[in-house]
Amino acid sequence: MNELVEAFRLVLAPDVMIAILLSSIYGLVIGSLPGLSATMATALLVPVTFYLSPIAAVASIIAASAMAIFSGDIPGCLLRIPGTPASAAYTDEAYAMTRNGQAEVALGAGLWFSALGGVAGTISLVVMAPMLAELALNFSTYEYFWLAFLGLMCATLVARSSPVKAIASMLLGLLVACIGMENPGGVPRFTFGVAELLGGIEPIPALVGVFAVSEVIRAIVSPEPPPLPSRRFGSILAGQLALTRKYWRQMTRGNVVGIIIGVLPGAGADMAAWVSYAMSKRFSKEPKKFGTGHPEGLVEAGASNNASLASGWVPALLFGIPGDTITAIAIGVLYMKGLNPGPTLFTERASSMYALYIIFILANIIMIPLGIVMIRAASSILRAPRATIMPVILVCCAVGAFATGNNLFAIILVAAFGVIGYVMENNGFPVAAMVLGIVMGTMVEQSFVTSLIKSDGSLLPFFERPVSAVLATMTIAALLWPAFIWSWKRLRPRPQEQAL
Amino acid sequence: MRLSDRVTGSFVATLGALATYGGSQLPPVPGQDVGPSVFPMVIGVGLILCGLMIAFGIGHSFEDEAEADLAAVQGPSQEAQPSEPLSYRLRALLPPILLLFYVYAADRIGFVPVAAVMIFISALAFSAKLRVALPLALLAPIVIHLIFYKLLRVPLPPGLLPMPW
Repeated sequence: MNELVEAFRLVLAPDVMIAILLSSIYGLVIGSLPGLSATMATALLVPVTFYLSPIAAVASIIAASAMAIFSGDIPGCLLRIPGTPASAAYTDEAYAMTRNGQAEVALGAGLWFSALGGVAGTISLVVMAPMLAELALNFSTYEYFWLAFLGLMCATLVARSSPVKAIASMLLGLLVACIGMENPGGVPRFTFGVAELLGGIEPIPALVGVFAVSEVIRAIVSPEPPPLPSRRFGSILAGQLALTRKYWRQMTRGNVVGIIIGVLPGAGADMAAWVSYAMSKRFSKEPKKFGTGHPEGLVEAGASNNASLASGWVPALLFGIPGDTITAIAIGVLYMKGLNPGPTLFTERASSMYALYIIFILANIIMIPLGIVMIRAASSILRAPRATIMPVILVCCAVGAFATGNNLFAIILVAAFGVIGYVMENNGFPVAAMVLGIVMGTMVEQSFVTSLIKSDGSLLPFFERPVSAVLATMTIAALLWPAFIWSWKRLRPRPQEQAL
Repeated sequence: MRLSDRVTGSFVATLGALATYGGSQLPPVPGQDVGPSVFPMVIGVGLILCGLMIAFGIGHSFEDEAEADLAAVQGPSQEAQPSEPLSYRLRALLPPILLLFYVYAADRIGFVPVAAVMIFISALAFSAKLRVALPLALLAPIVIHLIFYKLLRVPLPPGLLPMPW
């Protein structure tokens, strides 16, 4: 009980409240601008968190990412351009509703079910995390190795691209993580005599490069999106209760699917939205209405992507394994702030954990009023020309990367990773998988090499402990899954061909 | 910049071979079989396998499906088509070049002038009009400096134009 009171005291501190409010506004604006994703919003926020107290730092990340995922729906609905990848799954549906004159209902559904989904995800975090923490206390390096590997495999499975290319990207990320002296021998590895590389490649410059600079590059070679027609909105939340009553089943299913996908290490909000939208269509009584401006899929997918955001923190807090790219960034901040992820976090720093739960709930509650303001202001914010936003973002990338260690080498890394990210994405190599590889590389190597040393070079003990055997099976299944799908498709002729 | 799978696959495989070779050359830890060379070699072998599979077009069908899904949502790709003039596509190099310019010039002439140049050039590249680009280049660096230097205490180089705060 004392811890709960202490947690409220931590959250209600003025610096934390201001951080939540400002980062919410920041997240709403960045998320709503096409091409600027929630991950990028979070990555550019990191240098700012250096100078905040631990709770304020985590709070700003939670608030900004939740808002950005919601406000990604706004340009999707009004312009048919998703603001964040997590909104891409149902952009068409939302835009069709706008064309039918139901923009308020579509945006309201995005807001209302995002907030409810966020609360559901938080409840799952509160319930699941302590239970799993007890299990995690018994984990040895074998389990950690498989868990990290499973996370990497999930990241490749959910990438909407060729699984081979996704695995290649992930391995590239691991290779990048090999650079530096932090390895079992303590020898300089792949540093090519460059002194700055001895410390390894920090994830933050890589993230800023891959997610922000590559977006600037992409914008510079693509035409400006069409301007937003000015419009006046009616009541945003009117009719949402009726929708909730009508589609409570879909909403619950969306929440549950989102939570499950979020908990899986490596799979995040975009995947949750795609899966939930597809599921909603499959189980719907009126599948033909999908795509013509039918709110059902919107409800389910909107509930799903925000639910996954909160439950993505479960593996991040317990094992230091990111649930998605946003928590990958958050883990870095947790370490920096002395809140090292691990099961002991829940026993030793219980008040901080409670504070985190409270922040999640708070962020999802203030999302509703702030979201309404944002929707009303959207027509003026979305009219800000790219030519004024992108140059400022570029300078912020440079300053942000510089702030991580006060050295200019980080900016060279940002430029390099910007180009790498742009070329990779253009050729179908998913960059999110590479980023997870970079973030998790050191951990995977440490658990792998320590396990090998313990087992005297034998691979058998990797499968002997019960939990590690289960995790190993899941990982290998994830590895073989694409091959299974491919042969299934080969063996079963396509429906169109049958019709011919 | 769209390359064929054969090119990207061969690149990945070559990188894998180099990683394997580079890893194998690392000094071992005395008295222990497993050292710093194991992990890069495992990754290198993985990269070689993936690279070969990509070069031979294995798994390409998944990509087509995902692209079809996305095209259904977003319409045809808005990237510059190969028919665009080379000068248009070369603009892609501008953001990294400007970042390198920052690295080269920031300590010499200071944050505010460098940022102003970066913003001015890139705003023009985004085809902003002069009456937008100039005020933006003059004001935005000062605001960014105020936020990062004063509020967040990032030691941005003062250079030729130190700010009064």
